[in-house]
Amino acid sequence: MKKVATPEYDIKDKLKHHVSALSTAAKEVVMPLNVTTQYPRERRKMPDCFRGYILFDPERCISCFQCSFVCPANAIWMKEAPSGRYYPTLDYGKCIFCHFCVDTCPGGALKQTKIHDVAYKDMDEMFTLTEEMIEPPEIIREDEGYVDYVIDKEDLSLKRTKGIDKLIVDVAPSQGVPLVSLCVEPENCLGCGICEGMCESGAVSSLKEDGMVRMKIDVDKCTGCGLCVKECPMQILRLFRE
Amino acid sequence: MAAIGKSEWEVKIPEKTLKEKLYFENLKATVIDTKLCSRCLTCACVCPVDGIIAIDGVEFPNYEEECTDCSACVKVCPRFVYEPKSGLGSYIEFIAGQSKRFKGQDGAMVTELIVSAIEMGMIDRGLFVGRDEDWVTEIFHVRDIEQLEIPTLGGTKYTFARVLPELKKAVRFTKKGVGVVGTPCMVSGVRKLQQEFPLFREKIKLVVGLFCTENFHYDELTKYLKEKGVDFSKLIKTDITMGKFIATMTDGEVKFKVRALEEILPSGCNVCTDFTAVESDTSVGSVGSAAGFSTVVVREENAKKIIDFIKKKGYADFGEAKPEELGFLIGHKKKREENIGK
Amino acid sequence: MIDINALISTIMNNQVNIPLLQPLLDPLLGMPVIGYIIALILWKPFFVLILIPGFATMGIMLLILPWIERKMVGRMQWRVGPREISPHTRGIIQLLADSLRFLFQEVIIHKDAHKLYFLQFPFLYFIPVLLPLLFINAGTAGNPLVPIQTDYALQIMVALISLMPVFILGVGWASNNRFSFIGTVREAFLYFAYEIPFIVVILAMIVLYGTSNTVGVIDKQSGVWWGIIQNPLAALTFFIATVMATARLPFEIPEADQEVSFGPFVEYSGIAFGLAYVMGYEKMYVLSAIMTMLFLGGGSGPVIPGLGDLSYGIWFVIKTLIVLVVMANLRGVYPRYRLDQGLRIGWGAMLILALIALGWSIVVMGVRL
Ligand SMILES: Cc1cc2nc3c(=O)[nH]c(=O)nc-3n(C[C@H](O)[C@H](O)[C@H](O)COP(=O)(O)OP(=O)(O)OC[C@H]3O[C@@H](n4cnc5c(N)ncnc54)[C@H](O)[C@@H]3O)c2cc1C
Ligand code: SF4
Ligand code: SF4
Ligand code: SF4
Ligand code: SF4
Ligand code: SF4
Repeated sequence: MKKVATPEYDIKDKLKHHVSALSTAAKEVVMPLNVTTQYPRERRKMPDCFRGYILFDPERCISCFQCSFVCPANAIWMKEAPSGRYYPTLDYGKCIFCHFCVDTCPGGALKQTKIHDVAYKDMDEMFTLTEEMIEPPEIIREDEGYVDYVIDKEDLSLKRTKGIDKLIVDVAPSQGVPLVSLCVEPENCLGCGICEGMCESGAVSSLKEDGMVRMKIDVDKCTGCGLCVKECPMQILRLFRE
Repeated sequence: MAAIGKSEWEVKIPEKTLKEKLYFENLKATVIDTKLCSRCLTCACVCPVDGIIAIDGVEFPNYEEECTDCSACVKVCPRFVYEPKSGLGSYIEFIAGQSKRFKGQDGAMVTELIVSAIEMGMIDRGLFVGRDEDWVTEIFHVRDIEQLEIPTLGGTKYTFARVLPELKKAVRFTKKGVGVVGTPCMVSGVRKLQQEFPLFREKIKLVVGLFCTENFHYDELTKYLKEKGVDFSKLIKTDITMGKFIATMTDGEVKFKVRALEEILPSGCNVCTDFTAVESDTSVGSVGSAAGFSTVVVREENAKKIIDFIKKKGYADFGEAKPEELGFLIGHKKKREENIGK
Repeated sequence: MIDINALISTIMNNQVNIPLLQPLLDPLLGMPVIGYIIALILWKPFFVLILIPGFATMGIMLLILPWIERKMVGRMQWRVGPREISPHTRGIIQLLADSLRFLFQEVIIHKDAHKLYFLQFPFLYFIPVLLPLLFINAGTAGNPLVPIQTDYALQIMVALISLMPVFILGVGWASNNRFSFIGTVREAFLYFAYEIPFIVVILAMIVLYGTSNTVGVIDKQSGVWWGIIQNPLAALTFFIATVMATARLPFEIPEADQEVSFGPFVEYSGIAFGLAYVMGYEKMYVLSAIMTMLFLGGGSGPVIPGLGDLSYGIWFVIKTLIVLVVMANLRGVYPRYRLDQGLRIGWGAMLILALIALGWSIVVMGVRL
């Protein structure tokens, strides 16, 4: 075991340290730095990748359920739309703002924003329906400038800038990890074609001829949504990285 | 791209007897409607849409819409291409045993075999047939000895049980392997499954067969027994010995000749010729040994290993069993060959 | 029989002289009743006790000192300090708001507390805290501003200050709470650790000045020969002892929020808590005033034209304020010592420093004689 000895100071060192502490304090009293942000009159400048309120673009959603699978807080519940397709709803009472859902969405349908101070009247209201996720919530702002932390050489300081920080940023929709579904145990396949039926993008095909079912996954068409993987009764499909 | 995933593969499918029809319709026409179906439920185990169920007989209420026409049920049904088996089958050891740890129908050797296999690490779960107060069968996944405290897990229930549909789940969850207990028709079904799908070949490590002359439909048997004055709330054991059906209740017994049950004999059993479950790893029954003992026919190496383990640990008493005592019932079932196709 | 005329003449002969205000005061003094009242107020001993540096000054100090402290410590720690209440005045009325809140809060006396003492002690505590004000000389030797002149002024003050912790112990005991017990015991430990050096230092100053009369004390600090220059070690020790006695960082051991959540006062709420809170600052003020008197030349300083006697008082208050600010700022510089470290400093370094200071005083005295 390594023991760390307490530093030994003689009287001279001690005095020096006391003086330096007191003089530093005196210097700060006269010319202080300041790191307090006067929220809501000012606002921190958030990075563009800030994990805040989540917006949803139904056009891009392929109803793959990945967001609801990955959500560690079980905050996402897939709700059937009149069209028969399933879209995510998000319970902010449960969400821990990990943005796993945003990162995992293969279609880039979920989008991060810098909105992080949303008020709700009650718990029920925190349950955000698909329709409510499309538009950002009503935003009332008092801030006229933003405050940015700057680290120059040794000290941390604040830079106060006029100009309003945009809460909804235009970021390229996340690509996710490109995945593709493949069969790991072809011998166990029933040839039931459920995978074909589940596939939204028509990547899976099964063809019956001469006593055979020829199964084929078109790797180029497969979006990696994982629906076939989820539904295969024999659980013999897996998502692989492309 | 990972090497182990395939993007193209082929699945063999058998020839249809009725060309234009779905596979389930083929199965229905060949097996169910011809009264060959034994209600082993192997087809239900494998059906990808979980559509096949057993109410009175085996059926698929909504098959026109739901059946994916995959052929799996036809592939695994032991009676689609029926090869009746009979006789005593091959074996390496023929002994009588009585478990010291458990109470069962006879010598509780079935329970002992499964629990010992779990203890040995050969399997991590066994499928047992339990029952509720009304003697409706229920399937239990037994994973450790403590679960055997449920008293209804041992003992014979003379009604069909949905063991094989449950097997699909068991196979998916298991790590080391699964042990199944079943009547000869179920044993044949399991073997068919193993023949067709590597998944079952790898995951089912122990198949214990039971000697079986016949099994019954729940509704018919309970109705019959009630007519005979059996009070189900007091019923603790049912048994068939020496040609008699004995229902033991807390306050007495009801006895009658098994022959009387002929009128409710299920059609599938009427064409079944296998008494000793010749395809199993080991078969267990009551005839052939003294009262309180189970007759154990050890057929395969894995079963032999378990018996050796039980002997080493001293979990059971062993005695002499007489193969010749089985002759009558083997012959009795062999005669049913005549019924096939009638 | 009280001789009214003699009384009036005593009062009239010992009036505070403020040339600037005289034109304003003269007509008022001529009026019948108001004249008497004004005369009474301007009677030096009374004026000192009531206005400068007595109760009125103390009151103002109490209001702004916490603000100064919080603001400065905030700046040291890169924060803003109080601000939201009256942002234009930079939150100076924060304490007013706080005291309003204390005023209307419920005072809870929990059922295991000793009710009588629990309520009584915070008020009794005021006696030793306020009485020393009677003996503080805020003027100069030639122009003393002191309510009571006696040859035993320093001894009486030491006696009164030594009495303070007794009431804190009482408060802690009456609260009947484990945290207040711990805090009380810490206070008791610390009491002896600082009290002995404190007394020794006062002794050293009495020896140095050759008198314990507050007028004499100021007399001996004429010119630049302030006590702090005559005996710097004594000044340092006195300062540290003051910090300990007022339980301020780094010696905030008895009250240590994070450990015993305000120690002896943990059970106090509402106005009772407000009292306890204010008491700490009062104690600080009184001890700083004594420090100013003993080491910083009291009210001596250049006469501000037109203010007459008042200018001494103003110098005195300014010096006191400087001491207070230095003391308050320690809060932003030092962390809290552990009890054992505090005791080691009291019984070790401080006692040694005090004894050296006493020796130095004796040597100086010998040389002078
Ligand atoms: C329907 C049926 C008919 C039988 N007919 C005969 C016979 O004619 N002659 C003969 O010698 N033996 C017959 N047996 C076997 C006998 O009743 C005992 O099951 C066997 O001797 C094992 O006894 P044990 O005490 O070792 O088993 P136990 O330790 O008591 O274990 C009994 C096992 O049987 C399983 N089981 C109970 N009911 C069913 C069921 N309905 N379907 C599938 N598994 C079930 C239980 O899960 C349990 O694992 C029959 C068994 C059944 C289920
Ligand atoms: S941010 Fe995280 S917790 Fe919130 S919904 Fe998405 S995955 Fe779930
Ligand atoms: S992960 Fe994206 S595409 Fe998939 S269901 Fe959720 S929102 Fe839709
Ligand atoms: S769903 Fe599974 S079992 Fe059915 S065809 Fe597709 S891969 Fe084969
Ligand atoms: S015999 Fe078994 S597998 Fe065949 S149809 Fe009947 S229950 Fe299904
Ligand atoms: S889906 Fe397949 S297994 Fe199920 S009934 Fe149809 S053909 Fe048979």
